[in-house]
Amino acid sequence: MSLLETEGLVKRFGGVTATDHVDVSIEPDERVSLIGPNGAGKSTFINLVTRRLDPTEGDIRFKGESIVQKEPHEVVQAGVSKSFQQASIFPDLSVLDNARIAALGADHGAFGFNFLKRLDSYPEIDRIARTTLQDVGLWGQRDTTASDLPYGDKRRLEIGIALAAEPDLLLMDEPTAGMSPEETKATVDLIEEVKQERSLTYLLVEHDMEIVFDISDRIIVLNRGSVIAEGTPEEIREDEDVQDAYLGGVEA
Amino acid sequence: MSEDHQLRSDGGTAPATGEDATSANGTEKATSRVPGLGGDEGRIIGLTALAVLLFPFLFAEAPVISDIIQGYAGLTTLILIWGIFAMGYDLLHGFTGLLSFGHAAFWGAGGIAAGLLVEYAGMNLPLVLVVVGTVVGVLLAWLIGFLSLRRGGIYFAILTLAFGQMIYFTIFGPLGPITGGEDGLLLTIGDLFGVIPLNAGVPVLTPLGFIPSWLYLIVGIFVVISVAVAYRVLNSPYGLIFKAIRENEQRAEFVGLNVWRYKLMAFILSGAFAGFAGALHTIYNGAASASAFYWIVSGDVVIMSILGGVGTLFGAFLGAGVYLYMSNILETFVGTLWHVMLGLLFVIVVWLFPGGIWGGIRALRDLLTDLIGGGGSEPEAATDGGEPGARAPADAGSDGGENR
Repeated sequence: MSLLETEGLVKRFGGVTATDHVDVSIEPDERVSLIGPNGAGKSTFINLVTRRLDPTEGDIRFKGESIVQKEPHEVVQAGVSKSFQQASIFPDLSVLDNARIAALGADHGAFGFNFLKRLDSYPEIDRIARTTLQDVGLWGQRDTTASDLPYGDKRRLEIGIALAAEPDLLLMDEPTAGMSPEETKATVDLIEEVKQERSLTYLLVEHDMEIVFDISDRIIVLNRGSVIAEGTPEEIREDEDVQDAYLGGVEA
Repeated sequence: MSEDHQLRSDGGTAPATGEDATSANGTEKATSRVPGLGGDEGRIIGLTALAVLLFPFLFAEAPVISDIIQGYAGLTTLILIWGIFAMGYDLLHGFTGLLSFGHAAFWGAGGIAAGLLVEYAGMNLPLVLVVVGTVVGVLLAWLIGFLSLRRGGIYFAILTLAFGQMIYFTIFGPLGPITGGEDGLLLTIGDLFGVIPLNAGVPVLTPLGFIPSWLYLIVGIFVVISVAVAYRVLNSPYGLIFKAIRENEQRAEFVGLNVWRYKLMAFILSGAFAGFAGALHTIYNGAASASAFYWIVSGDVVIMSILGGVGTLFGAFLGAGVYLYMSNILETFVGTLWHVMLGLLFVIVVWLFPGGIWGGIRALRDLLTDLIGGGGSEPEAATDGGEPGARAPADAGSDGGENR
């Protein structure tokens, strides 16, 4: 059974069709990348899956179950986590508290009535927070206020927050956007590492071709809302439609 | 503590080699500052009790000080009651980042519920009135929160204001014959446990100048309990989740938290404090009226909260104190000019101390310990540094990128 499956997914904004009958399926343990020129509908697709946007038509199934009626936090609880395009963190809280919040979402479910129970009576929360920060290499900076981190570290924290939920599927929206080459390299290594450790399935939206060809099992190419090609990195590299639509002369 | 420690250092996946000792230490240190307000509950409760005990003496009895400030004992009780109201409000505004302009509704509802109970049911035991006021505050906050939290930001503020005014006019107009309308209800409040008159002095303490009356003692005990409850809430998972919602609501939703229900809980909790304080206010006044529902009251608590320090919890009592001091005592000297002076003070505090008066005092103390202590002030800084001052709740919704 596919982990994530979309069927005839359509999203229209007024007259613009941002997602046009997209049928995509992602198998467990697969590394899939979603590429396409600006305005191809990549972010819209991610937002449909995470339920930030309502689809106009079609169905989205996660582990065989439709999620189009679910709230965003229910989708996260079901096992789909997202890392944002900009570092979406809790800026005025410490790095450790950032991780703790993510751990609370992961360990306590969407809601609880435990407002008179001390947080420090839940050792599991601190354990998850610590493992997460160690995984993304920020344990040493746990007492730093999140907004004081350098940009690359903010992005790592952001990925850590997404990982703390121990998702089955991680959606990453341009995780290296705005990073220096060194930071990009470190982030790619991080993604690979986490992938190995947690046997994570992920869907990566990325502009940087090198990264995409490097760490994907399969690539899906979107253009004007539709899937125009799908295949292994080699196949995509050879595909003429893709070169026309997106790669232009870069690969020549 | 040591058990916790044990769990933590065993619980994780293998920690990086060589870092074991330091990281375990780090966890311990970090855990002790979870609250972000410093210190443990016992110390907070003890200090609050001490402050409650000394306050009337310093304000109204002590030589020199009380002569300068011209304080009188009756006002101390009122300040504490408003302080509870403002502290509950701070949970919502300061910690969760939700600016409500309708909290008079819960304060008024707690007050009028107590008043109706005395007037029509003949139930005038103070402790019963307070419980009923709290329950009514909770129920009304549930309803109004449920309706208002559908929208965020300024729309939420306007909705709470609108609902508050709707309730005010309902209590004032259609329900006027029952609630006493413009005149309100003049009540005879019963004795404590049916035997001790509230206005009587407390043996030993009152003659010494510490506790002016049984009423003050009861309110003071309620203050300690309220602070303990609010502080516990902030140290619970809720405290962290409230801050998460304040900082970045969208991200909180996307770590799998049901943001809407947590916001509703913040609203209900603050409504509970407001209803509780409102019932105390009725007991204090021996009267209840529709004017407690008026929108100005909602504004008053916002001003007190900001003056004292947004997101500081204890600042609420300072804010209430300063406000009531100006409106009651300063007013006798300068007349209506006190409004102007309050406005000036408000502007100065907001300009110079974003953390309010409480934040200002803390900044001053940090400065002094730095000047005097030098390196020796390390542990102090570690326990107190958690909460990064108070901050205006940022519009964190814009943080996550793509437009919806």
